[in-house]
Parts: sequence; C-alpha cells; structure tokens
Amino acid sequence: MAMEISNRLGLADIKSDYIHAAGRKLENIHDELLELEAKGEVKVIHVKEENKPIEAETLFGWKKKIPTNKLWHHKSCGQCGNIPGYPVSILWFMNQLGLEYIDERNQTSCTAWNYHGSATSNPVGLAAVAVRNWHRAYELGLFPLFHCATTFGDYKEMRNLLVENKELRDEVRRIMHKIGRELVIPEYIVHYSEWVHVMRFEIAKLKKYDLSNIIVTVHPACHCYKMIPEDCIYDKEIYAGKRTAVSTGIALTLGAQVADYSTWYDCCGFGFRHILTEREASRSFVMDRKIRPMVREAQSDVCITQDTGCTTTLDKNQWIGKAMGYTEQVPVMADVMFAALACGADVYKIVQLQWHTTDWRPLCEKIGIDWKKSEDEYNAYLEELKAGGKTVNLYEYPLTK
Amino acid sequence: MEYDENGVSIVPFEFKKEIFEEARKDFRYEEYVRGCLNCGVCTGGCPPHRFFDFSPRIVLQNMKSKDPELIWTMMDEYIWACFQCFTCAMICPFLNNPGGVIAILREIAVRRGFESAKKVLKPYSRVLLKLTAYGNQLSPDMIQPDFFPDWGPHIGYASTDLPTKRKAIPMPTLQVTNLAWDVAPETMKELYDIFDEAGVFKIIESVDPSLYEIIQDIVDDVRSS
Repeated sequence: MAMEISNRLGLADIKSDYIHAAGRKLENIHDELLELEAKGEVKVIHVKEENKPIEAETLFGWKKKIPTNKLWHHKSCGQCGNIPGYPVSILWFMNQLGLEYIDERNQTSCTAWNYHGSATSNPVGLAAVAVRNWHRAYELGLFPLFHCATTFGDYKEMRNLLVENKELRDEVRRIMHKIGRELVIPEYIVHYSEWVHVMRFEIAKLKKYDLSNIIVTVHPACHCYKMIPEDCIYDKEIYAGKRTAVSTGIALTLGAQVADYSTWYDCCGFGFRHILTEREASRSFVMDRKIRPMVREAQSDVCITQDTGCTTTLDKNQWIGKAMGYTEQVPVMADVMFAALACGADVYKIVQLQWHTTDWRPLCEKIGIDWKKSEDEYNAYLEELKAGGKTVNLYEYPLTK
Repeated sequence: MEYDENGVSIVPFEFKKEIFEEARKDFRYEEYVRGCLNCGVCTGGCPPHRFFDFSPRIVLQNMKSKDPELIWTMMDEYIWACFQCFTCAMICPFLNNPGGVIAILREIAVRRGFESAKKVLKPYSRVLLKLTAYGNQLSPDMIQPDFFPDWGPHIGYASTDLPTKRKAIPMPTLQVTNLAWDVAPETMKELYDIFDEAGVFKIIESVDPSLYEIIQDIVDDVRSS
C-alpha cells in the first residue's frame, strides 16, 4: 500500500513558543552542585570564557552552557573500535574551526556499556571511574567532552547520585585519594552532539554540497534523552520543542530534509547484552521497528544517529534482514559524520565509511560526492603505509603520561 | 539444598525475603520505586516487551507488592530481557524507574553469583575480559566474520590487513588493533585500583571464577610492568 509521505516532511522545523515541561518538577542539580562547591564539599570543573561557551535550553527551559573550545576528548570504546570515522569527524571539524583540544591515552572507558549489559559493577565503581576521567580533564585545565551517549547518560546519572548522596561522595573521595586524584564534578555533562548542535551555524559555513534533495531520518539515542531527560537540549524551533533538538538541528541547518517516521521514539535494539549475545532480538528490532518504517514511511536516504550503539546496531543488522525477505536498506551514520560529508571531508580517510556494512555509496552519489576517487586514493595510501610511509595525523600525541 | 519431586531446587522463603530486603535497602530504591497507577504506559513503550515475556509494569507491581515470592520470580532470565534503554523511566507519569530497579536486581544476581546470571553472562566473557583487564570494551580485532556472520560479508573488511587500516586512521590513539584506543598502562593501573576498592573484581569472581583468574594474571602483569 502506498504511503502518503508529503505531510511528514518538514515536521522537524515546526516552531512554537511552548516550553515542553512534561509535567515534571525536579530539582535543578546544577544549582545543588554549586551549593556543594560553596560548602567546600566538591571541586567543580567550570565552563570558562576560554571555553567559548554557547548557551542552549534543556527540557524545562533551563540554560546549559556548551563549551566549544579547550576540550578533553572522552572517547567511546565502541566508536573507536568499530566506527572510527565517528571520532575522526569530530576532531576534523575542530581542526577546521581552529579549536583547541587534547586526545590522549590517559582515559578509560566509562564502563557503562558493560554495566548495562552485565551488571558487573556498582554505583561506587561507576562513579569512581567517572570522577577519575573528569579529574584527568580537570588537571589539564580542559573541559571534558563525551563522545558516547551511554557515557553521557551514565555520567549524568553519576553526577546526580554524587550530588545527592554524601555516602557515595565520601566513598568515591576515598578511592580518588588512593589513586592520587580528587573528587571533581563538571559543571555540565556535555555530549559531542550538543557541541555539534550549538556549532551548527559555524559548521554550515563550511558546507560544500547541496543537501536539499536528501531525506534524513533521525534516530535519537535513548541514553541521550531518556536517561536524566531534563538534561538534554530542546529548541522551540525544532519539533516545536517537543523532541530533543540535537542531530535534527544540524541536518536542518545543512539544508537537508528531515522526515518523520512513526517509530522515532523506539530504541535501536542494542540492548547492551543483546547486541553481542542475543542478536536475534537486536536484528528483529532493527528491521521491524526502525529500518522498515524509515524507508517505507519516509523514503529515507540516510539514518542519522548520535550514539555508538545505535550506529552499530542499525548499520550492522540490515544485511541479515534479506533472509526474511526484508529488502529495505538505509545507510547509517552519526550526525557529525553526515555533516563532515556535507562539508567535503574525505569519505575514506576522514568519515571512514569503508567500515560500515550497509551500502552508503548511493547516498554519496545522490549528494554528488565522488567516492570512487576517494577509494582509489585511500587504497594508494594503504600501500604507502605498508611500504613504511607515515600516517598523516589530525594531531600528534600531547606530552602526557 | 532441598529439591522437589521433579528435582527442582526449593529455595527457602527466608532467602527470597533476604533478596527482597537487599533490593529495598539499596540507596536508589526510594528514588526508583514510587507510586504506580498500573497504567501500563511503561510496558506500552518498552522495546523488549515486543519480543520477550517482559513487562516493566509487572516489575514495578511486584516490587510494590513487597511479596518476596513475586520478586523471586523475576530473578532468573526475566530481568535479563531488559534493554536498559530507560524508555519506561522517561514516560512514567509517576517518575518510577523500572529500568533502574532491573539494574539493582541484576547487581544482586551477579554479586551473589546466581546460576541464572552465570548462564546469561557466559557468552559475554570476552567483553568482560577486554573491559576489565584493558580499560575499554570493543576492540577492532574482536570483529571477526566467525563471531558476526549475521552482519554480512562486508564484516570481513575489518579482519583483513587490519594493522594497516588502523594505522591509516588519523588519530594516533586509534592506531592499535587489540584495543579501541591505546590505553596507557598507568591509566589501567588506576582502573584496577578502582575495581579493587569498589568490589568490581569480586563481582566478576562470583559470576565467572575462571575468567577472574585470567583477568588477575593480566592485571598482575600490567601492575608489575
């Protein structure tokens, strides 16, 4: 049956003066954190002028300062292992925009993927890992930027638990003392997609391709907007403030069409444990609840994500759908990767789409990107490296332990 | 251990009560379990509810019942169906957090080394090893066609010429194959201290003693380096 889609396109840019409050009244954890700081209970990593912050509004209309400069990259273990174009695209934009940052070896995973999959940790362990990484940014005089949505969700939760529970603070402080660190908490927990969102107008100035014929469907990450939902960016000019604005904001600013689909709110099917050990659940969810609606209802050219697990799950599980007669396919990539493509970043060397399993070449061709030229240059580059050539890096290691 | 006529172990009521009390004493419990209208909005939006015999409404109702027998019925595979997406928490009109309750119950199951937890987590040991011993989770060399045949033929791309392809990534931290990024040994040592102090290593020992021994060998090597 043919679907009427014309009324679905353009829903993303409906404007409203209505502030979406979802009937909730919660404590403003930011204010409580500053009170604890005033009492000398914790140290706070503040957003300073040198961080060139840009203000955004969260679910209740509270202001959140998003630092855009002098950042410490908190990488994602899933992205770095599996979707390398994700962090590379973030750093590529920061280079293009002349911003300062550090990416280094002195960082651990947040361990929250493992926790939500296996429960083999506890609040003390999770909070201590979080504070350990926050403190590393603090001692370098930088503000931490979290690449993964699960890190973002977990760290928001750990910040709240630390602010609200003295016993937890005392226990984490004891552990930090043992490893030579202090209890510090960032003034704001900031996800990279929030950085992309507030920088979207600067990013759009770098645009090389017309995206007006590209239909985007957005998959918002659960751990971005469902975990501690009050600390997520909403914008009255995007979905009338009724859905989170990140990722949709950059797609609209770059001139793409953002199409709605009926299961936008559903998770991706990752399940933390399921993606690795109970994959039939993940792949059924991907095809039935996400990819099919995106293609059949919205005729999507690309699915835009903002998280590690979502990008992996939605990309990797389409091929197997053919066994059940599912022919719908749509390339999947993070908002920052899509933006990098639009701004002329190399498909192979920067956006690294070669690691993705669902075919992204038709999207490149529709945008007007010569992916074959990029592939040939990349293959020649690999031969150079094999012969002992040096990698052309986006940055070099800082002098840190 | 007592057994019934079918050879099924009989768990004493006192033990089930102890498990319930352990959950109720968790410092997050009061925050996660509030009033419940039994409206079912949480289950209506729950992704795994579509594919499993799992309902966050039942999780909340069982906890509210304070009946240790009902809570015990969830301590097997039931709690492991949850995707931990927190859709339930986002949409609950009473601000309950069934996903958070599941996390508390799972923590108890692994801390006490329940057989059901051991069985569910057995295939997960490769990930546990990588995370606990090296400080990050998914490494490029884990993505092999024999582990992920359902991800299609292109998945083989990641397993051929991997060192060169990783070397071509323009971030020095990522130019390794056995880790997602190159974690410094001093950083790993800090993580081990955290795991020691927070009881994380003990949890792994209770849920997978063999894996724990392998991890401890690696930890000892790194600590002595």
